[in-house]
Amino acid sequence: MRFTDYIETSFSNLWKMKLRTFLTTFGVVIGIGALVSMFAFGKGMQNNVTSTFNELGLFNYISVFPRSAERNQNNSDHYDPDDQGYIPPAKDINQPVRILDEDFVKELSAIEGVEAAFPEIRFPAMVRFNDKENFEMIQALPAQISKTGFIKLREGSFFDSDEENSVLISDSMLRNMGIKDAKSVIGKKLEISTLAFELSIESLPNILSFLQGKGLPFSSKNYQFTISGVMELTGMSGPIAMRTNILIPAGISEKMKKIQITSISDIFQSIGQPQGYSMVGIKLKDPKYIDSVKKWVEDSGFNTFALIDQLEEIKRMFIFMDLFFFAIAMIAITVASLGIVNTLVMSILERYREIGIMKAVGASNGDIKKIFLFEAGLIGFLGGVFGLALGWIVSTIINLIANQILSGQGVPHMSYFSFPLWLCLGSITFSILISLLAGIYPTIRASKVDPVVALRHD
Amino acid sequence: MNPEYFVETNSLSKIYSSGKIEIAALRDVNITVKESSFLGITGTSGSGKSTLMNLLGGLDTPTSGNIKVQGKEISKFDPGELALYRRFQVGMIFQSFNLLPSYSALENVAFPLLFADVLKAERIKRAEEILDKVGLLARKNHRPSELSGGEQQRVAIARALINNPRLLLADEPTGNLDSKTSMQIVQALSELNKNHGLTIIMISHEQDLLNEFADDNIHLRDGAIANKNEMTSEQ
Repeated sequence: MRFTDYIETSFSNLWKMKLRTFLTTFGVVIGIGALVSMFAFGKGMQNNVTSTFNELGLFNYISVFPRSAERNQNNSDHYDPDDQGYIPPAKDINQPVRILDEDFVKELSAIEGVEAAFPEIRFPAMVRFNDKENFEMIQALPAQISKTGFIKLREGSFFDSDEENSVLISDSMLRNMGIKDAKSVIGKKLEISTLAFELSIESLPNILSFLQGKGLPFSSKNYQFTISGVMELTGMSGPIAMRTNILIPAGISEKMKKIQITSISDIFQSIGQPQGYSMVGIKLKDPKYIDSVKKWVEDSGFNTFALIDQLEEIKRMFIFMDLFFFAIAMIAITVASLGIVNTLVMSILERYREIGIMKAVGASNGDIKKIFLFEAGLIGFLGGVFGLALGWIVSTIINLIANQILSGQGVPHMSYFSFPLWLCLGSITFSILISLLAGIYPTIRASKVDPVVALRHD
Repeated sequence: MNPEYFVETNSLSKIYSSGKIEIAALRDVNITVKESSFLGITGTSGSGKSTLMNLLGGLDTPTSGNIKVQGKEISKFDPGELALYRRFQVGMIFQSFNLLPSYSALENVAFPLLFADVLKAERIKRAEEILDKVGLLARKNHRPSELSGGEQQRVAIARALINNPRLLLADEPTGNLDSKTSMQIVQALSELNKNHGLTIIMISHEQDLLNEFADDNIHLRDGAIANKNEMTSEQ
């Protein structure tokens, strides 16, 4: 038999039992649809993470922390693989501990591959805008760094200098305040109240009440700012360094009286230890400089954190996610392939006499096997194509709904599903292969039909 | 070298065993058929007629003995060779016609060509030609259920001959037909035998028909060939 004859014969045989073919194929469609949409979701999430990271330049980013001398001494004989910050006990333990100060930042900025280095300064404050009060973590950022691509602006402009009283606010903060038009807030005033620990005559009542166990010895200071721009927050929680609703220029920040807490460890910082920045961010020109810069920083006695190190971990997580999805989809596909086996076996019983006739007029066992195998393959092909279509349609609908819901929460529009070519072709091929596999038993059974018995069969 | 006989069996036996019970459907059957001759076979049901036909048609294999067709020992063929033998060397027709009910007359006739790797256009052309010869071209698009018994059997004959075999096996081809139609069918077979040199082996209950058209007759009883006297006394 010719290839085209096999296809034509299989088509016409399947067409003769339309309902059963439809139901069997539909089982495959659901299985493949589930497989495709799950893989597309996994792939889509992976793409989103990677592209968001890339877009935000997070692979170009290294955070630097001071290495706590105390900690090193206590833990020098202890290794905890989960401890990202842990560096094996260094020989320089008795060397004077370096501080993350301005000199170090300047030194860093001069290293090859470093585009910019800047202290990450964060502090809590009360923000008043539009008669509303919100407690926020404020972040200070040098004006030049603000323009390097970390932040995307929805409206307005970045700071022009480090000394101006400008502020960038996030669109999610606006949304929380019920303001929809980002443009309308540009140029408006915003007040930031900081808490300052102060020992002065004016704060004496505070100190007294603190000593009596009522309240804290803090006084608050108010600063006026003008909103210069509205930042776009990304769906993936934003760059770690910029996870804030309010950005102010670094120069202004330095002049403000405030309690500075970048991380919780600041609170535990022992008295008498040298002061310095608690975190410094480094933006690289290219991810290829990561290793050399990290080494330089670590050799200088600091700990580092680079998100690119986490990428492998994230990728591994995605593989597990894919495997999990695959397992679920395989259940659907197994059920579908049992449907194929059932349909073909039924078909053989019904076409018993026909098989006998085929043999009587000269069909070989191979011909009969191929006819049934083509029918299985055709079910698989149709199931694969329509399953792909179903997966695509369902994904598109879920994507629309998800975006509809999430856009209300300030997450920008994005594709949660991705259909690369390999997934489309792979799912159809997979569907055909699984169906052929399901067709093996019925096929062997069909070829073993005894023509003498079959021709007597009614 | 031309073999003396077109079809020849030697001590042909077929034993069916079910559990410990063995039933001999054929026992030491020796038949010889010359090329372009017409052999009639009679016998009661269960006498082994159909078993002999299935063995000659390559649908079944003997338990012992051998079958030679055109000098080739088909009893030694493997399944692939047997399929080729059925495809090109032999045509078979049956009492119940064995047409495919969902296929048209034309598709039924063309069906064997599918396995002979013939292109579709050629399949249709050849099937139309042969349907024309059996006088059924006008009914080529009818399904078997829309045809009379005689017409169905003529479609079956056309199908059996589509690959130009030299041997035609007819297993009670008139069993489901009235006497007038039976006569027409056997006449048609006889004409194929006389005018086209087709070798025919036909099973029938109707001794009269065989007497009129067959060159030779044998009678089977309990799986063995009975002598002619017995044959006549039984009839």
